[in-house]
Amino acid sequence: MNVAAPVARAPRTEPTVVASAARVFDLSLGQMLWSRRSVFLAILLGGPVLLAFVVRVLSAATRFGPMQINGARVGGPAVFGMMIWLLYIRFIVPVLGVFYGTSLIADEVDDKTITYLFTRPIPRRAVLLGKYFAYVACTVLLVLPSVMLVFFLVVPSGGGSIGEGFPSLMKDFGMLAVGLLAYGAVFAFAGARLKRPLVMGLVFAFGWEPGVMLLPGYLKRLTVAYYLQALVTHQMPQDSAVSMIMQVFHEVPSVFVSLVSLAVIIAVALWAAGRAVEGREYVLDQ
Amino acid sequence: MTTRTRYFVIASLLVLTVGVGTGLVAYYVGFPTSAFTTEGGTQELRYVPRDAAVVAFANVQEIMTSDLRQRIKAAVPIPENGQQEFASQTGINIETDIDRVVGCLQPSRGTAMPGAGLVVATGRFDVGKIESLMREHGAQVETYRDRRLIVGTPQMMHGDRASTAPDTTPTDVAHSSFAVAFLKPGVIAVGSTPLVRGAIDQDATGGDNITMNDEVMTQVKAVDSGNNAWAIGRFDALQTHAHLPPAVASQIPPITWFSIGTHINGGVRGTLTAQTRDVDSANNLRDVVRGFLGLAKMQAGSKPEVQAMIQSLAVEGTGNAVTLSFMVPAQVFDAAASRRGLDDRQRRH
Repeated sequence: MNVAAPVARAPRTEPTVVASAARVFDLSLGQMLWSRRSVFLAILLGGPVLLAFVVRVLSAATRFGPMQINGARVGGPAVFGMMIWLLYIRFIVPVLGVFYGTSLIADEVDDKTITYLFTRPIPRRAVLLGKYFAYVACTVLLVLPSVMLVFFLVVPSGGGSIGEGFPSLMKDFGMLAVGLLAYGAVFAFAGARLKRPLVMGLVFAFGWEPGVMLLPGYLKRLTVAYYLQALVTHQMPQDSAVSMIMQVFHEVPSVFVSLVSLAVIIAVALWAAGRAVEGREYVLDQ
Repeated sequence: MTTRTRYFVIASLLVLTVGVGTGLVAYYVGFPTSAFTTEGGTQELRYVPRDAAVVAFANVQEIMTSDLRQRIKAAVPIPENGQQEFASQTGINIETDIDRVVGCLQPSRGTAMPGAGLVVATGRFDVGKIESLMREHGAQVETYRDRRLIVGTPQMMHGDRASTAPDTTPTDVAHSSFAVAFLKPGVIAVGSTPLVRGAIDQDATGGDNITMNDEVMTQVKAVDSGNNAWAIGRFDALQTHAHLPPAVASQIPPITWFSIGTHINGGVRGTLTAQTRDVDSANNLRDVVRGFLGLAKMQAGSKPEVQAMIQSLAVEGTGNAVTLSFMVPAQVFDAAASRRGLDDRQRRH
């Protein structure tokens, strides 16, 4: 009797974290870009471009005279700096971080699709990492072109020079990318760990951060904004009483300290988020 | 990645690449803002020699169409004789033909003649008409670097061809003669013949000019922003050529540079800046100007029409710079015009 020799099977290997994250990234980028949240994103980032266009038209209508804010003459670069501060740093970057960061895992839980991802033979943290990098790619690819358009529309008006302002634009790009990375990581952790991450994220971004920035002392070091604002090359606008108080207590850490601190925030937040995803049992409501 | 997502990523990266590329070109090549706007006020500066003592710019079109000019024109009809005479002599209507003007003065170098001047204007010029008018007045046409150079002397233009002073050297004649050249369509250079030749050289071959003088260009950038007329000058160079008596010269503060920038639209606002040799001189000059301002403000109390203007005067500046900012609101011109109208009516009665 002939007995068939057993076929030697190659041992089944689990894909690496990087390969798994790359696959999740590929899937998630399209999902993020073409979701209902994209409409919100388009409005959020189209607003400054529209505003810049209006500024440009008004500037052209006054025969290229300087723009005036509260009776004071301001050039295009100053207006661009104000837009970076008020629109991007204080609003758009934290908002994108909150809405996208907290939803990386929470959306899958709400849609009850997390099971499909977690039953795959890939490390759970790879799901989080892939989604996090998809968020970074999605936001960076939308925010930076928006800033670029604002720059080219606003800076040349009122006697500004594109050539002179270009190095500052490059620094802004770096600062915004780092801001998106940091806020995204912090809120990804919140999304993976907390029950109501969106509410907590909004409280952190628009309650805690601006609140402690107004106070003297060390509390501001427990914010992302403290380190991020040190990377901004534009002068902080004094548009309101709150801004004036912020100016008074405006401590600026060095660029090196800020970059190191932000790198630590990103690494620790992503590690903690990975741990939370690995260890947590997600109970799906039926 | 779906095709739609791929297109989005490509489009986004394309925007960034084009933007960064344009910015890099602007940063390294330094193309002016005018690449994106129609302003382009100071492109003609490259025709100005590097060592010019005074450089000035005016956006004639902007000033001519300003609210202020329209109001003044309506309130006080300006006699057109001067403009008509200029148009009949040169074929150029200042009101409609000139867009921008850049002018400069260059100190004389070892000649008995005063400094040379050059005006480069952009606009719409009737080349044939200008040339025939100047020839009618005795000017001669030469060819220089394949450009037609119309050369004349003040004596020729006034029909006095034999009145040259007996001790005048050929260099003096060259300096006293003036020339007109069409540098390119819509750009005309008028001025001292050597400077006009220099402008043609610049247009043909490039080379050293005032845009390569960093000291001047720093001041130009500062004063050009938001102003439609400005002037910058080396005060010490002008003072040297003014041949002032020592007693007077010793009383003048040690100013090295001066600049004046104005924006003319509804009213006139501007700044007058002086750079002194040292900080102490600047402090002294600030004190002197503040003193005069105080006096002027006291005097203005009885004249409400100039009170707003006097109140707008402010002395600022740090280090070696002393800046006097001013604003003449349109109401001052309105008041002056109405007073003039009142005086005319009283005179008629």
